[in-house]
Amino acid sequence: MTEADIHSTYYSNLPKFEYLEARTVGEACSLLKKYGDRAKIIAGGTDLLVSMKKRNITPWYIINIKNIPDLEYIQYDNEKGLKIGALTALESIESSPMIRERFFIVADAAHQIGSPQIRNWATIGGNLCNAAPSADMALPLIGLGAMVKIEGINGEKVFPIEQFFIGPGINVLETGEILTEIQVPTSSLHTGGAYLKLPSRTSIDIAVVGVAVVLTLNSEHRRVLDARIVLGAVAPIPMRAHKAENIIKGKVIEEQLIVRAAQTAAEEARPISDIRGSAKYRKEMVRVLTNLVIRQAIGSTS
Amino acid sequence: MKRELKLIVNGDTHVVYIDPWKTLTDVLRDDLQLTGTKLGCNSGECGACTVLINGKAVKSCLVLALQAQGKEIITIEGLEGEQGKLHPLQQAFIDHFAVQCGFCTPGMILSAKAFLDKNPNPTEEEVRVALSGNLCRCTGYVKIIEAVLAANEGKGASQ
Repeated sequence: MTEADIHSTYYSNLPKFEYLEARTVGEACSLLKKYGDRAKIIAGGTDLLVSMKKRNITPWYIINIKNIPDLEYIQYDNEKGLKIGALTALESIESSPMIRERFFIVADAAHQIGSPQIRNWATIGGNLCNAAPSADMALPLIGLGAMVKIEGINGEKVFPIEQFFIGPGINVLETGEILTEIQVPTSSLHTGGAYLKLPSRTSIDIAVVGVAVVLTLNSEHRRVLDARIVLGAVAPIPMRAHKAENIIKGKVIEEQLIVRAAQTAAEEARPISDIRGSAKYRKEMVRVLTNLVIRQAIGSTS
Repeated sequence: MKRELKLIVNGDTHVVYIDPWKTLTDVLRDDLQLTGTKLGCNSGECGACTVLINGKAVKSCLVLALQAQGKEIITIEGLEGEQGKLHPLQQAFIDHFAVQCGFCTPGMILSAKAFLDKNPNPTEEEVRVALSGNLCRCTGYVKIIEAVLAANEGKGASQ
């Protein structure tokens, strides 16, 4: 056994691959088209490289997009809303004064991912494209009715982020397409939201359950004009609890309704049992968290 | 096929020829012999491999070396204080007994440096969050936090 063998016994080094550098979005798309399933895009790579070290995936080609200029930005316009470039680091999102002020739930979710070093390098686009059922950024963005911009060799398209996820680790991107921008519409003055996950923010673990709630109240802050309740890690993809939403939508907020909505969300959840928690535990935690998060979301509107 | 990689490490420009599947940790340790950067879990959990890329703390075991092309990197070897003395954080770690086995120390100090450079007057809670991506298995967090706060107050130098 050589020294190198011993090294690789102790540490799972990366498998071999060919490295390709994309300097533009167009270049990235044509490289993807050319190499198809044998290629993987790397942005921050904080999930991809771990999967490769575990040999869960062993791509032949790695296409680096992290150094493409102009995909790292945060822009806000009162009419057009918020635009975040796909290569924007999670740290830039959590520390953006504008996002903290106007879309706090987005900054808060970014802050709850990984550790500081991960957030400095990982990108919002990567978090979404990984399409983990627990993807932290997906929940508040679905709650806020965000859109994603996809670019490919045949042009670009924009559609609701809710339609982006298909299954665990699977998104709608076709060969030759990449996610380039996340767009969040301007929300009303009386819109508020909150996001909580278990384990809590002090941990760097993957979510066992996540709940995001975005509510719009009327000007007297009593009636719920619109409500979105989004659950993470309890279905193959981040899911909306539509029945729970309907319980509070159009109603004047009262204790009984919140309790019923939380119970309904738990019934709607379709979790599996795995190493992080049983299905029964997850359903119960959906109820507990939804109950809390609805109250926090109401609190954040005033 | 080996690829050319240019890195600016601790102010010096290096050009190395590497396999594309090498991480930044691999290149720093094996090609540049900068073994102050430690490889712990090799999966982004422990923070022993923390270095600064363009001033930001990152886990170098999860950075492809080629992705750092042309970037400025600071490793623990690059820290120094005035007139060749230790950096105030390094001195504070010694003065406050914040080092036990020492394996996590380079990462701890670099996370703390990146954080203090941006947040000159942190609370203890903020320091704890800033170091939340660095694990110490000798269970020495209290003294590490004390050292970072002391370094920030200029109490790092030996009495």
